[in-house]
Amino acid sequence: MSKPVLRGLVIAAFFALTAFALVPTFVPRPAFIPGFAPPPDMWPRAVSLIGIALGLLALCLALTRPAAQEEPVETDGSSPWRMGLRFAGLVGVFGLFLLLIPYLGFLLSTMALTLVVVLMTGERDHKLWIFLLSFVGPGLLLLFFTYSLGTQFPKGALTKPFGF
Amino acid sequence: MLNEILSALQSVATLQNLLIMIAGIWGGVIVGAIPGMTGTMAVTLALPFTFYMDPVPSILLLVALYKGSTYGGSVSAILIKTPGTASAACTALDGYPLAQQGKAGKALNMALYSSVIGDFISNLSLIFFAAPLAILALRIGPPEFFMLMLFALTTVAGVSGNSLLLGLVSAALGLLLATVGEDMYGSFRFAFTPDMQAGLSIAPVLIGLFALPELIKLVVMRVAKKEKAATLGAQHVTREEFMGSLRSILKGSVIGSVLGAIPGIGPSSAAFFSYGEAQRSSKRGSNFGKGELEGIAASESANNGACGATMIPLLALGVPGDVITGVMLGAFMIQGLTPGPLLFQTNMHEVYMLLIGMLISSVLLFFAGKATMRMFAKVSYIPQTLLTPLVLLLCIFGIYSIASSTFDVAVLLVMGVVGFGMFLLNIPAAPFLIAFILGPMLEENLRRAMAISRGDPSVLLSTPITWIFAALIVFALGFTLRREIRKTKTERQVAQ
Repeated sequence: MSKPVLRGLVIAAFFALTAFALVPTFVPRPAFIPGFAPPPDMWPRAVSLIGIALGLLALCLALTRPAAQEEPVETDGSSPWRMGLRFAGLVGVFGLFLLLIPYLGFLLSTMALTLVVVLMTGERDHKLWIFLLSFVGPGLLLLFFTYSLGTQFPKGALTKPFGF
Repeated sequence: MLNEILSALQSVATLQNLLIMIAGIWGGVIVGAIPGMTGTMAVTLALPFTFYMDPVPSILLLVALYKGSTYGGSVSAILIKTPGTASAACTALDGYPLAQQGKAGKALNMALYSSVIGDFISNLSLIFFAAPLAILALRIGPPEFFMLMLFALTTVAGVSGNSLLLGLVSAALGLLLATVGEDMYGSFRFAFTPDMQAGLSIAPVLIGLFALPELIKLVVMRVAKKEKAATLGAQHVTREEFMGSLRSILKGSVIGSVLGAIPGIGPSSAAFFSYGEAQRSSKRGSNFGKGELEGIAASESANNGACGATMIPLLALGVPGDVITGVMLGAFMIQGLTPGPLLFQTNMHEVYMLLIGMLISSVLLFFAGKATMRMFAKVSYIPQTLLTPLVLLLCIFGIYSIASSTFDVAVLLVMGVVGFGMFLLNIPAAPFLIAFILGPMLEENLRRAMAISRGDPSVLLSTPITWIFAALIVFALGFTLRREIRKTKTERQVAQ
């Protein structure tokens, strides 16, 4: 399946899901609407229907016209499977970061996230900078926001006895 | 009026404000000089810090970042042939050949002089045209506002990316996301979790959409550019060289001011237009692209010339002309100021402060650029593999500090993934952001217009102003479609 066809399908499917499943379920109509004001679902429904039309148009154009030249995505030459794995890994790391905050606290979680993300970029040369960025950087930012702006960052259930 | 201007001057010319503007310009130049980092990113990253500042200093900081980054884009364009920002692409055409000839310092100086002059002229145009436009805008009601915003949205969708269709899809996605939360009559829409009942904040959405996809691209595709920076070499621009380019600088400044004031055009198009015009009209036109100072002058005066002018529709009508002014619209609203015609009535002092501050920042741009040219040359050499994780760190701390909300951090990360998905599908992000910010106002004005007209949709085309905007929408769509059809035909001919 070519990229333009896939794109048209994704767009049409997303807006169809919104118009026919999400709007009826998650946009309740109030029992009373003052005057001639349009109901709350009018706007999201209208936008979704326009989105479906645009998606179908994109699909039709992709199927009927010869493939237009799209800018190639620059990569390091890895296979799509490998890149997909990296993407899934990063999304997993983001999810894990959010899950860890209540247990490890904001500081340790961001330190772990930064270290993992730097390593995931393939950076191995600047070891001192990796250390400073991953461990000193979050500490300095935490101090700055806590003392200058008064932000209270969440402490972890496991790390509370240590003060962070 | 003179008293108000003097009072505003007194309020702006404090040490604190001057330091904020200098910091903003420096920060902007540094970010703009780093390939892959954009002015939008500079402004969005600074947004969380402005929550704790007074309204005018916070907007001045963002404006200074915008100006600094627009000039900063030329640094890496000249030294390593990698424009830090899209609007500096033309600058690379002549800047890099000059750098190879050992005249990088000369090229950087010309870029700085042209940027400062363009910026100053642009600020003057803002001062002269924003207020009259705002007075005119006071006469318009909900139907006209709806059509005006629709026009801005259509234009932005048309000029962002390579396809009008995908621009419109992006705008539709932004409009849909803007409906999350409580509507004007108290109904909760798409409130999947209790946190979503209050709607999605502007800051995590826009920062996630613009700052994080770069990081995800780097992790997934692992393409980090490593270019060798040129040395500065010959530094001074002679009087003859400057006077030889002055016509193009002034012309570029005017082109930038005019095109910047039209929603959706922005600095990049202004720079290309000005460069083309200078090449056409210059005696040394044949030398353009081979290391011609006048080429840099034309490009830089136009892209900085558009900076102040993009604030005209924002301040006068409340309509952002490009992504950066879209972010600034968010900043204004966060600070309790609503850009638009009423701003000139209710917050005149703040408006004067802003305008005077912008003029002062033009002068500061000159001194800041001059003082730190050598340092900026080194900045464009920072490895992206360290820089982008640092951006992630700043984003996470900054976003959390706004509302002490882990939910906002989650929104930030999710929007980063959404932005990456849009990049993969070639869907431009700019219309999404503008639609997300304008969406609530667009819907509110539509619903008000419908309520006033007792449900009659013809109210949207009931006055001459609405006809004008409708005609402009049709013109913008027709123009973009014509351009795309021509482009497709050319591509087909090339393929055959």
